[in-house]
Amino acid sequence: MMLRRAGMYLLLTAIALAFVGPFLILISAALKPPGQAVFSFPPDVIPRPPVLTWVMEAWTAIPFPAYLLNSVIYVGVTVPLYIVVAAMCAYPLALMDFRGKNLIFFAILSTMFLPSEVMLIPRFLVVSQLGMADTFAGVILPGVLSAFGIFLLRQTFAGVPREIVDAARTDGCHELRIFWHVMLPAARPTLAILGIFGFISVWNSFIWPLVVLKDSAKYPVALGIAYLAGITGTDVRSLAAGTIISIIPVVIVFMIMQRHVLEGMRGAVKG
Amino acid sequence: MAAGRIPGQRWYTPYLFAIPALALFGVFFAWPAVTAIQLSFLEYDVVSPPVFVGVENFTKIVADDRFWTALLNSLLFLVGMFPLLVVLPLLLAVLVNQKLPGIRTFRMLYYLPVVTSMVAVGVAWEYVFHQQGVLNWMLTGAGILDQPIQYLLDPFWALPALVLVEGWKSMGFYMMIYLAGLQTIPTNLYEAARVDGATAWHRLRHITVPLMVPYIAVAVTVEMLDAMQAFTSIYVMTRGGPQDATLTLGYYIWSVAFEHYEMGYASAIGLVLWVLMIGLAILNYRLTRGRTVMP
Repeated sequence: MMLRRAGMYLLLTAIALAFVGPFLILISAALKPPGQAVFSFPPDVIPRPPVLTWVMEAWTAIPFPAYLLNSVIYVGVTVPLYIVVAAMCAYPLALMDFRGKNLIFFAILSTMFLPSEVMLIPRFLVVSQLGMADTFAGVILPGVLSAFGIFLLRQTFAGVPREIVDAARTDGCHELRIFWHVMLPAARPTLAILGIFGFISVWNSFIWPLVVLKDSAKYPVALGIAYLAGITGTDVRSLAAGTIISIIPVVIVFMIMQRHVLEGMRGAVKG
Repeated sequence: MAAGRIPGQRWYTPYLFAIPALALFGVFFAWPAVTAIQLSFLEYDVVSPPVFVGVENFTKIVADDRFWTALLNSLLFLVGMFPLLVVLPLLLAVLVNQKLPGIRTFRMLYYLPVVTSMVAVGVAWEYVFHQQGVLNWMLTGAGILDQPIQYLLDPFWALPALVLVEGWKSMGFYMMIYLAGLQTIPTNLYEAARVDGATAWHRLRHITVPLMVPYIAVAVTVEMLDAMQAFTSIYVMTRGGPQDATLTLGYYIWSVAFEHYEMGYASAIGLVLWVLMIGLAILNYRLTRGRTVMP
């Protein structure tokens, strides 16, 4: 039994190494001093001694602080906005009867089946016509509507005990107040799930910002890394350092919020 | 409709709540979707005014060798990612569904590539695939390879290498889909099987897999949509090369539109991709429908 369990942990650890290994190689390359080879047979992964030269070099090779700030802005504006828009739409879908309810629901669900590459060109033209090409608004607004968010919140709201809503209505509560003071607090776990998934997807977004932005000063950090990788003469160590910096924030947020991820997947698959 | 009797609620109240979502739907989904269909019948280079060309874009597709290469490569992605995203994650999910101390940490580590950007993952794997990198060291050391390979510069190996990277990045996500499903299976089913002397393989084959069919169907659908849309890994690691070996439909559409500025032609290819994806989704639905019966 003990042996079986030890074997199980060995297997689990070996698989974990396969998933974490490439990141460890990046970290190792980022910390190696100039005299130590990045690549060798057999691999020489321990930096002797670890240096921060490459972190500093990546930090200045591209406007790193500005890109990080841009990403923070994109996340900070998009995520709350998408949650509020999704919640507002989900509320009547879950709790009111009105004409066109199913039509609205299916129209929004249908957006899940529009592949991003197909929408890329027409959406770029629409955003250009609206004068939003190469602007923060142009990057943010098309990402605000989330069928996933509306879907998940509609389920959550429908699960809130009806008596609470009815009691609030009998007390003469305005719908907006019920929405804000009763429903949103009741849906807090779902909001956390949407928050974490929104953070990950906006922080990592690549193809849409690539298409809509011309001015590299507005790049989110993922685009900044691709830009750094494209600069000829970028040292492999400083590219590794830059890449590590770019993923630290999202990894930290994920580690703090990780218990919500499985709950979120469970809710999404059930529907 | 009892709407009138509820204080503070008029007939238009529900619509007021839905307005922001509906406006965004109209501007960023419905309008572009209509534009996409219009564009595919036009010749448009963004600078000069669009010209109506009828079905010319579609006839051009048929004669375009690069389109067929891209389609074939996309289908190779689809097939290649199947074992990585539909089969392996189920085994991983069974593995991390055990009640062991610290199992949450392993789940989190397996999920790590999912939360990192494809750009970062692409850069990390370039180090792994390097001629003097870890992969070549392991394969030559084990005697599988005589010579180190430059995977991303080799017309044969570049596509399998990208499939591996895309699969590796998303495996944790599919594992979580299956894990959500596994946790709905009552544990006494397994205990009963164990009492009857069923081996681990038998339990997997006769309990887990049949009960997981609805989740396998979800995984297959998501895998198809994922595979057909592969873009960022290609952009970061190979740019469709070498010699179009990793040119997929998604990358080809982007390249035709934003490198050659043939918006009409790119939209026509986009519509073909769209129809293809809907077709695959329907096919998958047909194949798995009626197999979701619980015992």
